[in-house]
Order: sequence, then C-alpha cells, then structure tokens
Amino acid sequence: MCILMKKVSSIFIVDDDPITVFGIRKMLKPVALCDDIQIFQNGKEALDALLKRLDGEGDIPEVIFLDINMPIMDGWDFLEEIMALDIKEKVIINMITSSIDPLDHQKWNEAKAKCPYVLNFKNKPIFKIEPSDLECIHLAS
Amino acid sequence: MKAVERIAQHYLLKQLPTATALVGKDGTLVDASDSWLHTFGLCPKDAMGVAVQELFKEYDSSCGKSLTECLGKSKAETCRFHKGENSSAQWYESTFTPWYDEGENLIGSIIQTINITEEIQKEKKLDRMITLLKTKSEVSKVGYWEYEIETEKLFWCDETKKIHKVPASFTPKVNEAITFYKQGYSRNKVSMLFHKALQEGTPYSEKLVIITAEGEERWVRTAGKPIKQNGEVVKLFGTFQDIHEQVLTELQTKESQQLLTTLIDNIPLNVFIKDTDFRKILVNKAECDYFSKNKEELIGKTDFDLFEKESAKISVDEDMEVMRSHKPMIGKETICVKKNGETTHFLTSKIPSFDLDGKVNGLIGISMDISGLKKKEDQMRNLINVTSLQNKKLINFAHIVSHNLRSHTANFSMLLKFLTNEEDEVEKERIVTMLSDASDNLMETLEDLNQIVDINTNVSLDKKPLNLHQNIERIQKNLSAFLGKHKVDIQNNVPKDLLVQSVPAYLDSIILNLITNGVKYRSADRKPIISINAQKQNNTIVLSVSDNGLGINLEKYGSKIFGMYKTFHNNREARGLGLYIVKNQIEAMGGSITVNSEVDKGTTFNVYFNEEGQ
Repeated sequence: MCILMKKVSSIFIVDDDPITVFGIRKMLKPVALCDDIQIFQNGKEALDALLKRLDGEGDIPEVIFLDINMPIMDGWDFLEEIMALDIKEKVIINMITSSIDPLDHQKWNEAKAKCPYVLNFKNKPIFKIEPSDLECIHLAS
Repeated sequence: MKAVERIAQHYLLKQLPTATALVGKDGTLVDASDSWLHTFGLCPKDAMGVAVQELFKEYDSSCGKSLTECLGKSKAETCRFHKGENSSAQWYESTFTPWYDEGENLIGSIIQTINITEEIQKEKKLDRMITLLKTKSEVSKVGYWEYEIETEKLFWCDETKKIHKVPASFTPKVNEAITFYKQGYSRNKVSMLFHKALQEGTPYSEKLVIITAEGEERWVRTAGKPIKQNGEVVKLFGTFQDIHEQVLTELQTKESQQLLTTLIDNIPLNVFIKDTDFRKILVNKAECDYFSKNKEELIGKTDFDLFEKESAKISVDEDMEVMRSHKPMIGKETICVKKNGETTHFLTSKIPSFDLDGKVNGLIGISMDISGLKKKEDQMRNLINVTSLQNKKLINFAHIVSHNLRSHTANFSMLLKFLTNEEDEVEKERIVTMLSDASDNLMETLEDLNQIVDINTNVSLDKKPLNLHQNIERIQKNLSAFLGKHKVDIQNNVPKDLLVQSVPAYLDSIILNLITNGVKYRSADRKPIISINAQKQNNTIVLSVSDNGLGINLEKYGSKIFGMYKTFHNNREARGLGLYIVKNQIEAMGGSITVNSEVDKGTTFNVYFNEEGQ
C-alpha cells in the first residue's frame, strides 16, 4: 500500500498528555514528512514559541494539533490568542479532545466561523491522521 | 206719678248692662240703653226717632234673615250680623222680642244685641282645627281614635277605618278593635297596654301586626294616651298608623345590613373604609386583629398613626391617587410595616366610594395577608436555587467524569490499535509501558473521583466543634518535613479558644490543602510566608489563609480556580484537585470559599464556616 507522503515544513503538538503526544507522532510518521515537530505542554508555551517564529526565528507551523484541557493556558485561550495574530501563512488547527460536552462542539462551531485558519475538531480516540488534517482542501474550487 | 214712673223707666233702660233697644212698629228707635247706642256709635240725645234700618245698613246678615223679617213680629227672632270682613270683622247677635203695651198690644220690638266676635272667631278656629286634623290624618295616613270610658264608646276616624279596611259606616267596639290584632304577641300586647292605660294611665306606642277586614297582615303603629279629669282617666285618645311598608323596608335593610356586617366581619380579608382625610371610618374584625386593637381605637386613625412613616406615606399616596383619578387600585402587592416593625405582605385593592351626588367621599380598602404565601414562595425559590445549583454541580461532575474517563479509554483504544498493528518488538515494548502508565492514570483518576463522590454523597454530616488553632498546629506538625524543606514560615494567628463547627476530616483537608497550595505556588524570589487568621462574623467563622507567592490573575482564571484538574502554573506538584476538593467540602457543610489574589504578590483564601443551627 502506497500512501503519498505529505511534506510539511513545521508541526506543533500542544498537549499535556504524553500518551496522546506519542500517538500523534506515531500516526504522523507514515503520512507526513516533517523535520520540525515541536511539542508543548500548554497553550502558553506554544504561543511563546509561535511569537518567536513570527519574529523571524523559524517557520510558522503549517499544522497545529491542539488539546483543549491543559493547565495555565487551555486550547480555547490559545486559539483566541493566535486568531488575533496577523499570520499570512496557511495554518491548519486540529482541535483534539476527549470531551463529548456539546458545549465544546458548539464553541468550536462558533470559533470556526470567525477563525482565519482551517479549524478541525477531532474527538479521541484517534487512530489515523487524515490528509485533510494536513492540507487545505478547497471544496468550492 | 206717671211722669215720674216714665222717667224712672227710661233711666232704668238707659243703665241696662245688656245692650237693649226699644223700637216702634214703624222701625224708629224709641229708647235704648247707653251700651246699645254705643255699639252703633250713637249719642243718647241724637238717637231717638232714628230708623233702625238705617243703623243696620252697615251690617250684613249672616243667618239668611233680613232685619224687616225680624222687626215688629209677634215671635222672637235671633239674627247674626257682622260688620267688615275676615279677621277684623265684628260679629253681633241681636234678639228681637215682641214688645207689648199694657193691653197686650204689639207696639214694637225689643232688641238685645251682644258682641259675639270672640265666639265666632273661636268657632272658626275650631272648624279650622278639625279640618286640619282631618287633612293631616289623610295626608300622613295617621288615623286616630278615641275611647270614652263612661259610655264605653270607641270612635275611629276615617283613616283608622281605612287602615282596618272597614267601611266608613263601621262602628267599632273595643273587643272587636282588639281582635283585629294578630293572635299571639300583637293581640296580647295591645290588650295589656290598653288595660294599663285605662287602669294606671300609662301612655303607649307600639309596633304591632293587625289582620285587616280583608284578611291581610299589616304592620301598624298604635299609640294611646289617657286623658285625665280630676286625676281620673276618663278618656283614651290615640293614633293609628299603617307602617307596613316602612317595617318591611326596615326589616330588609336590617337583614341586608346584618348580612353585610356578618360578611365583612367574617371574611378573612382586612376591610376598611377611609374618608377623604384618609381616616378610617370603618374597620372589620380581621383589620382589628391585624392591629391588635378594637374598632373604637382604629376609627379616626390615619395610616401615619398605625404604620411606619415610609410605609404610611406609600399607602396614603395610593389613597390620594385612587380618590383623585376615581380609578380603583386592584390586587397590588404591598408591604406594610407597623410601628413595632412587624412587616406584612398584602395583596391590596382600593376602590373609590362616591356619595349620592357622585362625588368621592372616601375609599373602600380590601387587603389580603399574603405573608405566608410570600414566605412559601421564597422557600420555594430557595429550594429551586439549591436544586438547580445541585443540578449544575451534577452535570458538571458528569462532564468531568465522562471527560476524564473518556480521555483514558481513548488512550487505551489508541494504544491497543497500535499494539495490534505493530511488528517492531522494541516499539511494542514501548506501547505496553504506555498502556501500563495509562492504567495507572486511570486508577488515580478513579480515586480522585471517588473522593469527590464521597464528599457530595455524605448526607449526614457529623459536624463537631473543633479548636481551629490546635488543628492548624497539628497539621503543621504533620507537614513539618515538607514545610522545613521549603523553609516556610507559618504564622498561626487564630485565637486559641476559637471553635469551629466542622466535619473533622474536612477541616483537616481544608487546612492541609490551603497550606500546601500556598507552598506549591510560592515565589522563588521570596521566603514563603503563610499567615492564618480567623474571626467570628455573625453566624460564620471566617478562616483566612494568605501567602506571599506567585498569585494568580483572577480576571483570567477567576472562574476556573476551583475547577477540577485546573492548574495555572507550570508546577510538577500541581494536580488541579486540591481546591476543587476544598470547595466541595466547605459547600457540603453549608459554607463557602472565596479568593483574592494579585499576581506576584500573593493569594488569600477566605473560608466561611456556617455556624448556624448548631
């Protein structure tokens, strides 16, 4: 079985659960070719790194895997922060959560409408990274 | 001799006290007494030979006979004449007697005249009185009756007969008259009264029932008054009046009034009527009971006499508006505060009342005490609040449970899937380690959840009075290794004798968690100081635990600080469970917890212990 490897310049994984991080990395291996995968324990760490990269210290991540429940700065707060940033590059944000709280889903829907980036919502458990998690698929064009 | 006799005769006549005149057959005056001449305004010397007709010219006959018919007749005649009209008229009665000479020959008339003006006037007055009485009796429908004892004759006037419905020709007897009264009370009463009036001269006036000749029952007022002569009753005079309609109306009025009074007094509503000066002019029993005052004490009082100033002002403003606008105020919720501070909730209506000319003359007020309902409503609202809070907590807890368990199970699923597909032995080994970690995490989570469930399901909390200072000291001793390691300065400022009502295990947990929390989030720049204070405030004891640590941005995290698995600092020791447990424990004991914090200055937790109902 031959799967086309997608080349990705930079990926951020923001999650405080080491098992999930392990899983995401493992699942990325067969589908993405990326030399720059960064792991962050919470939104604050990821935001700080992103701000540094915006200042020219590296590539803006093409794909972000974002957990919702984290200490210090959670997924929603992180999302709010980066939505306020002026990022020209295409960014795909995959929100990953074990929550089945309808409120979280509703929040995602609201955020999606406002978000200048592609915003996906992925419920745990995840077994596979889809191509759509890594690139923009323009259905309209 | 003859001449002497004549003179003597003449002189005798002249002096007669009764006005007398002698008139010849031809009608000329022969002789007259001075009094007679005076009546006609004549002088004795001019009088002789004057024609009597001339003298009577000014007078009108009032008996139908003319003067000529009376003069010179062999039969005596009496005739009345009057001079002038109406009340100033002068009335005279003249008697014409034949005048004979010695040979019994008719030679003229002897006229005797008396002034009867006074008599006539009396007669007229009597006539008038009789007419007046009759008219009065007819108009006022008051009949009268008379009973003469000697003759045993009873007289009924026309009106009395009309009331009895007997013909005008009817002649009553006493026995008959009494049997007209309805058998029983009326008849017995009237017999007794009539007898007493006769025997003892006692007047009476009584409301009784008769049965008319036509068989109809009617209410009458009968009155009797004895007339005495020489101290003895000779006559009874009385009135008789048909008062049937009045009595019926009176009865109806009385009945409806009684009905109204019974209704107003027994209705479980406060009823009052106020005049245009806002004074109470009617109050019912409920209103009296409400003020613990009797009717006399309330009548004439205004709301300012009965209520607190503020409360009275509101009420009087309402009164004014109702009387000004003529529009009733219906079912308004009002709060009345009496002078003694007692507060009552009312549902009040105020309706303007009008006099017969349509002018407002006051208002009618009806109030229903709804304090009980209000209280129940409040209790209900509290219950709903508590229930919805519990519900919220439950939902919240359910989400926590589902989220936490789901995250572990999701990891299990993912790892197991990897494991089945993995061929590399080293990688397999890694996955198994991960699985074992996931299992440990799950166990830990379950233990945490169990702890929370324990707090929330422990219904019968066994609170005990505990010495706060000593408990802090004990925990401080238990933590001595941990505190010593971080060189923490604990300042226990709690009064040594202060007792707090708490479940012992909860108090331990609260103190332990707040102290360790303060140590965990210490600032690296300062020597950690934790100061503990406590004081009594009304029915609560406030325990304050302050640190000089990192602090927390409450604007950002305030709503999450007591949430489960919420940590705000990158701290390895933080599990995000301590404050959540503390909050659950203090709330389970009916208390609460608040937090004040400033970033890089420190944090203070205030725990409010509920001391009520102990």
